[in-house]
Amino acid sequence: MTRAEIAPTRERPKVPVQRPGRVGENSGRVDGVPKVRGEFEYSSDLHMDGMLWGATLRSPHPRADIRSIDVSEAEAMPGVHAVLTHEDVPGRKVYGMEIPDQPVLAWESIRYQGEAVAIVAADHPETARLALAKIQVDYEVLDPLADAEEALRGDAPKLHLSGNVLRHVKIRHGDPEATADVVVSGEYEVGMQDQAFLGPESGLAVPDGEGGVDLYISTQWLHVDRDQVAESLDLPPEMVRLTLSGVGGAFGGREDLSIQIHSCMLALHTGRPVKMVYNREESFYGHVHRHPAKMRFEHGATKDGELVYVKARLLLDGGAYASSSMAVCLNAATFAGGPYKVPNAEIDSYLMYTNNPPCGAMRGFGAVQACFGHESQMDKLAAALGMDPLDLRIKNALEAGDTLPFGQMLPEPAPVKEILERVKAMPLPEAKEVMGRDLRELPGGVSNVTHGEGVRRGVGYAVGIKNIGFSAGFDDYSTARVSVSVEDGEPLVRVHTAAVEVGQGLVTLQAQIARTELGVERVAVLPADTRVGSAGSTSASRQSYVTGAAVKAACEEVRERIFERVREEFGEAAEGLYIEDGVVARDGEVIIALDELIGSDEIEETVEFHHKETYPADENGQGDVHLQFAFAAHRAVVEVDTELGLVRVVEIATAQDVGKVMNPQALEGQIEGGVAQGLGLALLEEIQVKDGRIQNASFTDYLLPTILDMPPVKMDILELADPEAPYGLKGVGEPPTISSTPAIVSALRDATGRELRRVPVRPEQLVGLTGKPPEEPPQPGSAGYAEIGRLDERREQ
Amino acid sequence: MPGYERAGISAELTVTPSEAAGKTPEDQVEAAKAAAGESGLAREAGPAALVLAGGRSEVLAAATKVIEAAMDAGAREVRVKVEVEGDARRFQ
Repeated sequence: MTRAEIAPTRERPKVPVQRPGRVGENSGRVDGVPKVRGEFEYSSDLHMDGMLWGATLRSPHPRADIRSIDVSEAEAMPGVHAVLTHEDVPGRKVYGMEIPDQPVLAWESIRYQGEAVAIVAADHPETARLALAKIQVDYEVLDPLADAEEALRGDAPKLHLSGNVLRHVKIRHGDPEATADVVVSGEYEVGMQDQAFLGPESGLAVPDGEGGVDLYISTQWLHVDRDQVAESLDLPPEMVRLTLSGVGGAFGGREDLSIQIHSCMLALHTGRPVKMVYNREESFYGHVHRHPAKMRFEHGATKDGELVYVKARLLLDGGAYASSSMAVCLNAATFAGGPYKVPNAEIDSYLMYTNNPPCGAMRGFGAVQACFGHESQMDKLAAALGMDPLDLRIKNALEAGDTLPFGQMLPEPAPVKEILERVKAMPLPEAKEVMGRDLRELPGGVSNVTHGEGVRRGVGYAVGIKNIGFSAGFDDYSTARVSVSVEDGEPLVRVHTAAVEVGQGLVTLQAQIARTELGVERVAVLPADTRVGSAGSTSASRQSYVTGAAVKAACEEVRERIFERVREEFGEAAEGLYIEDGVVARDGEVIIALDELIGSDEIEETVEFHHKETYPADENGQGDVHLQFAFAAHRAVVEVDTELGLVRVVEIATAQDVGKVMNPQALEGQIEGGVAQGLGLALLEEIQVKDGRIQNASFTDYLLPTILDMPPVKMDILELADPEAPYGLKGVGEPPTISSTPAIVSALRDATGRELRRVPVRPEQLVGLTGKPPEEPPQPGSAGYAEIGRLDERREQ
Repeated sequence: MPGYERAGISAELTVTPSEAAGKTPEDQVEAAKAAAGESGLAREAGPAALVLAGGRSEVLAAATKVIEAAMDAGAREVRVKVEVEGDARRFQ
């Protein structure tokens, strides 16, 4: 028996059998009803008899040196089973997806507020929390380096051995001396957005009694977690087995490790199962966020509005550790030109280490920041040219066969112009008289702040581009194991992958593919785990493409073996055979029922699907870097109370090319969810960081859009097949997030006439007070601060 | 890796300082870290350890310089662990 075959330490859940629709049909989610009823087991619900509770001691300082750590008092507490520090990490003391630079537990340097210093296992979560308070850490507190621009200076303190520049991507394309009739430039800023998944980081580590460990976890990529955990535990990978537990959202925030190594260390140290669950506040310190960015753009165009050049300098704040910032830096650079024909480009993208919270993957992955910049510039350029902003975008829209600023030729299909024209053609919502409306249809709603006075409507457009799948030479693949057997007298297809369902509907999609390819109604999708090969990450909008292709290919191999058996048993030629409704047939004539053909056998195939090769960019940022490109266009209609700066988004209209609609209901969900996240970045969502300290680590203070903030979303879906993708599909998860933000800001500009260079847009920007909060505290008696004090001051008290 | 820009090769170097050397153990480790820092590829990986991550030739060249710096400072042992993505067990 190999390690991988060791009996699971926890009973595997019963696998629900689905009767999914075929590809292209609406198919209800197998996890839908349990989630709505509260019966779905999320990773925070895991339980085992005799389990201990883990907890993490975190640094209160964003930058400090550790002089000493004394755990003796904590260790002596009744109910405490382990207190571990960096000295107890059995293997590599650092981890990282691209560069191993983040301490499992800090030994000397603290680089961000919330950095893990020690971990505790106790028989009750409250005991564990009290034990944390007994650990004495002597810090020498240092001034944080909390500004990416300052980190770039030569005299800045080095946060890592090789300095503060994590990556610089340089793109040089065309004529560097190109000149233009009309030139516009602008500086733009994007705040730090949180993924704001609802299920906090959580999981259960269970020692197997043989020196290995099982980890039941919510994550985005099981195998990469396993490899990093094994490295730090100094175990071979097969002694660390991961099983996916219920994931309460991810959006990139679960790509990096949180409790994985810590819980396994505690479990192996104590010989007991250990559960860890972050609370909401700790979750803000326990995962990476979207990179805040400061960007400077210059666009040159002919007087007719044809783009001549783009120059851009993007400064992204990666915070204390690398996470996936290297790739974000490349993405931001490659999409700084937007989905436009621009023959000359000079783009510099810098990714900096600072003492701010670490940033990494989040839906849109570098394209979000770039899109806000280039779309703001298109509005500005249109104003300078006296052109309609939408017509300017259409005039410069990329087409298949054009070359992107990073030297890659854009493949078919590339309907940038078409989606813009479709959005333009969609009817605008009725412009009702504002005075006398139901309050719920006015900015501020039932707060009763306006009855229509000062309310202005605005309309704005934006279009975005995003790569699908992993890029730059990465060997991106997924593995699928598919079997067919007879159970309860009926054929049953089992699909087993390590692909992570984070709520997007992948479990249903895999079943739909199996149903379509094998003509069998009953499909069971097994829990994702590391007993099967890697499926890659649930990110980069890639799973439908890459794991979808792997499942399809495995089904095709199983089908071929079925046909082979028909040939052997009946002497039938393979041509024209098909499986439908559980029977093998040709020209409508049944040859044999599957259950009869298969009997007690099981036909199983495992396939690894690799997408076509991509290549790293060269020293000038040129190369066939990306796999597939997806596009979406958005039109936003907003109403602004121009006296108070309150906003109501009236409607979002969008056109998106998805290649193939695999499941219409799931697609609508992805688009609406993506728009909500884009709206959040436009108007509400920002982690407020001051001197390296998070000011709003709660869902009370971190503002999220609710259903009352979400407008109706009109969709126009194009199905232009990508000839290289399974079923012609394109990834759909990220594009709705990318251009919805700048479309809303564009509409706000239209309503207010203000430039609006920063997201999220704040009320004071809309009424022209300032682009930023006041640097100096307001005087007593002004703005109502006299009695309660400013928020940041209250936090420090 | 989730970040598709994963370093192609990494080398973890752990310095065991010598008590008998002219320089203090801290200075011996510091000398190795300073040499590593100059490579542009280095991050700390423990109290006396660092990791170099990047392309194969640059990492191997930098590793040599780090070892030399550590030995020049009096260290008696530098443990090296080199892993190549796609070849090392953890990536299979």
